Amino acid sequence: MQELLKQNNTALRHEIEQLRQSLIDAQGDIPDELRAYTERIANECDILHQRVLRNLEYLEFGLESLLKDILSETELVTRAFYDLNGQRASPILRVRASDRLSLKLLLWLHATHPQAKNIPAAICDGEFGVWPIQPTLYATPCTSQKGLLNLPIFFHEFGHLLYTFHQSEMNDLINELQAEIRDLLRPPVERNDQFAQSQERRRNVIVNTWYEWAQECFCDAVGLVMGGPSFAYTFSMYFRVLGWNEYHVPRGELAHRSHPVTWIRIHLLVNRARQMDYNAVATDLEEKWNEVATALGVVEDYDGFYNSTFLSVIQNKLDDMITETAPREFLESEVSNQESESTFASPVALLNAAWQKFQNDPENYSEWEEDAIVRFLNPDI
Amino acid sequence: MINSQWRAVQSFQENQNLISAINTLSIHIKLEVAGHSDLQEAEAITKAREELCTFLKELNPQVQRAETENKPLLGVDPRRRQFVNRLIAAKQNFRIHSPFLLNKLSEGTQLLRSDAESDKQALLLFLEELRMLLEEHIGSDVQQLFGGF
Repeated sequence: MQELLKQNNTALRHEIEQLRQSLIDAQGDIPDELRAYTERIANECDILHQRVLRNLEYLEFGLESLLKDILSETELVTRAFYDLNGQRASPILRVRASDRLSLKLLLWLHATHPQAKNIPAAICDGEFGVWPIQPTLYATPCTSQKGLLNLPIFFHEFGHLLYTFHQSEMNDLINELQAEIRDLLRPPVERNDQFAQSQERRRNVIVNTWYEWAQECFCDAVGLVMGGPSFAYTFSMYFRVLGWNEYHVPRGELAHRSHPVTWIRIHLLVNRARQMDYNAVATDLEEKWNEVATALGVVEDYDGFYNSTFLSVIQNKLDDMITETAPREFLESEVSNQESESTFASPVALLNAAWQKFQNDPENYSEWEEDAIVRFLNPDI
Repeated sequence: MINSQWRAVQSFQENQNLISAINTLSIHIKLEVAGHSDLQEAEAITKAREELCTFLKELNPQVQRAETENKPLLGVDPRRRQFVNRLIAAKQNFRIHSPFLLNKLSEGTQLLRSDAESDKQALLLFLEELRMLLEEHIGSDVQQLFGGF
């Protein structure tokens, strides 16, 4: 074991040094927006290097009793290095000029919140998603990185990071929501037989599933509160033609699903948009989803996991969660769609202007977008 | 949005940190017993103790609720619920022997902060078994994040 651990740690040390050198070599290509992220990753690399050196020193003690601990420590460093080398260093080593658009938006997004403002961010290729850790990594499909229309999805992903800042309080709120959903599911008369027991087990599955669903619904609410109509339109268009499963999930597949059926999320967004007096946005979403659902022949049925009586209970709790996490709310002037110089200074204004332009004049949208991105990235021009 | 890998990422990082804290403390105690000075600074040892104490303070009521109430653990994320169930199953299957994991989880924080010679063996057993459970638990995160080839 002693020799095996020495071999693994020596190999790890070598690979960590290689990665560290690659990060140094990449410095010249890194845009300013990625510098803080790069520093943090380089620092993590240094920490792993120190841990490997310490493992090698511990091995020098020659104590049999330490071997299990050094093995565990070697496993930890190996996994952490795979994580760094396989995923988190990649945005630096594969950097592209077009990354600046997403990075500038993300840095602005982080700067809007006191707990996020010092957390660096980076993007990687992939289906939209977030690694809500520090520094934060946002996965974005390749072409979405180069245009404006899908970028409002970052507002949702940022919600996952906000959640982590207030995890304990947010979990308490979800606890309350789950208890309220359980009450809604309770039968008027409670019996004590086998059927009642199986119903109770089923209710528990629904209540448990809502822990994860509530987080996603919270992130959607963050998206709307921060991004305004641009988020609602992006969300709707992104999902509405992904197929039957966005509207209906077969009985048996709903339990412990990580995300609610998208049509439930649309109902919540529509309701929230109406509460915010954005009736045209709400109506647009509602009509378009109904249109596709009708074409697909989908009958709305969530097998007890959701019905309209849940709506106000969920919205009230999401309101509390928004209050707790305090995301920056969009300004009226940012969604008024009156294009001016300030449109290119605020990402929220820019994304809403993009959606307005796309909806009103899709033919000339690409040309407008290209110019808008240049003006956003180069405010001095 | 669609990708739910973030849950595995969070769980992975949290468990990596906990196991690292266990290792730091375990190595420190063993070196002390063997009459060697540790390479880690005192601050790192204190930080490891506190990290584990915070974890135990959260875990203890969750385990108690899961053992006494026949209801879902509300407001607890799915990966933690799995760990709570793993711990309970390990107790029932006699896979763990530390009294602090078996029935004195609430006293685990005192044990972690104790410098008494007489507590050292109990603490080492507690750390080793807690690490075993966490290592098993982190397996599914590792599988999701790194897969295989």
